[in-house]
Amino acid sequence: MNPHEAKYIQERTNAILDVIMAYANLDFTQKTQITDKDDVFDAIASGVNMLGEELENSVITLQERASLLQEVHHRVKNNLQIISSLMNLQASYTKDEKFLALIRECRNRIISMSMIHEMLYRSKDLSRIQVLDYIKTLTLSINSSFSGSVSDVTFEYDIDEKIYLEAERMIPIGLIINEAVSNSFKYAFPHRKGLIRVDFKMSKTHFFLRITDDGIGLPKEIRTEEFESLGIQLINALSDQLSAEMKILRENGLGYELLFRIDN
Amino acid sequence: MNIPETAHNLTCYFTWMGEDGIARTKVKKGSEVKLEHAQENSVVVNSFYVDSKFPLLIDARGIKSMEREARSFFTTNGRQTNTLAFGIIIDSSVSKVVGNFFMAISKPKVPTRLFLNEEAALEWLQKFKEK
Repeated sequence: MNPHEAKYIQERTNAILDVIMAYANLDFTQKTQITDKDDVFDAIASGVNMLGEELENSVITLQERASLLQEVHHRVKNNLQIISSLMNLQASYTKDEKFLALIRECRNRIISMSMIHEMLYRSKDLSRIQVLDYIKTLTLSINSSFSGSVSDVTFEYDIDEKIYLEAERMIPIGLIINEAVSNSFKYAFPHRKGLIRVDFKMSKTHFFLRITDDGIGLPKEIRTEEFESLGIQLINALSDQLSAEMKILRENGLGYELLFRIDN
Repeated sequence: MNIPETAHNLTCYFTWMGEDGIARTKVKKGSEVKLEHAQENSVVVNSFYVDSKFPLLIDARGIKSMEREARSFFTTNGRQTNTLAFGIIIDSSVSKVVGNFFMAISKPKVPTRLFLNEEAALEWLQKFKEK
């Protein structure tokens, strides 16, 4: 190879590599030069240019989809918050305690869902949220809806921070936690003092969710299978949605234990 | 491929209908084909017969490049076309890459094959002619 050929090969190779590096940095403004020689470098340059065009198109499509998905989550969250605000407004016209309690239950259910959409549109991949972050935010929101800042109910968590879940499963899980924790606030602590614990763990094949309180529990004469409040009916239905095995725990208070497969 | 005097002399192509009912289009040497050139060629090709469809022989041997929008347009995806099949002649380094890229990535909607010579391409296209 003479020096002239060596220089030509070096220059063409470098020029093509520069463009590949630009594409790797998602800069699609550059193109490799195609000469009239119609040699192997022109063929490679032609392929690199076309791959760059296809890559640019794919990147734009993905960005458009992500932006659309973010908009969807944002709108769903906003709509749910409007519904919640309307219920609040309706509640301000009455002093009926039963009606106010019903409104609060409905609002908490709506908020448990809107929180997921809010976290999704703020998340990087728009499809999954961190279970630990969500459960902590949700339980604090329920706490303030029941007792404001004067509650002596404390929370303990044992949640694997590595677990992220998609909305499809996070919504029923959020509603289950909402029902269980709301029930604890309503019935478990007559002296407004107690502990609620939420565990969320992962084995190789299953997720494990446990929500317990150290309150007064159910009266001994009530059998578990006769326990038919709307809250427990909802927990049962939502467990089915997760294909989970659900157990009611009655030692030292009341609790719920759910086991469901990771690969649903 | 001999270009007859009656051929349409377009920006990047010579295009004409052969006496055998197979349309032909030859890329001009060094052409950098853009969407408007693809559309210009398509208007001419579709004007050959109004009521019947026909195969198309494309001589891509002189091509230098073809932009994505042009490749996408040539797939005929989502548009009316009178073309029944593409036989594409390639032999140069660049035309081989462009031809193979068109086949594998752009994915034309009508039967398409690459050939190294005109005779083989015409033989294959014959079977797509409407009877």
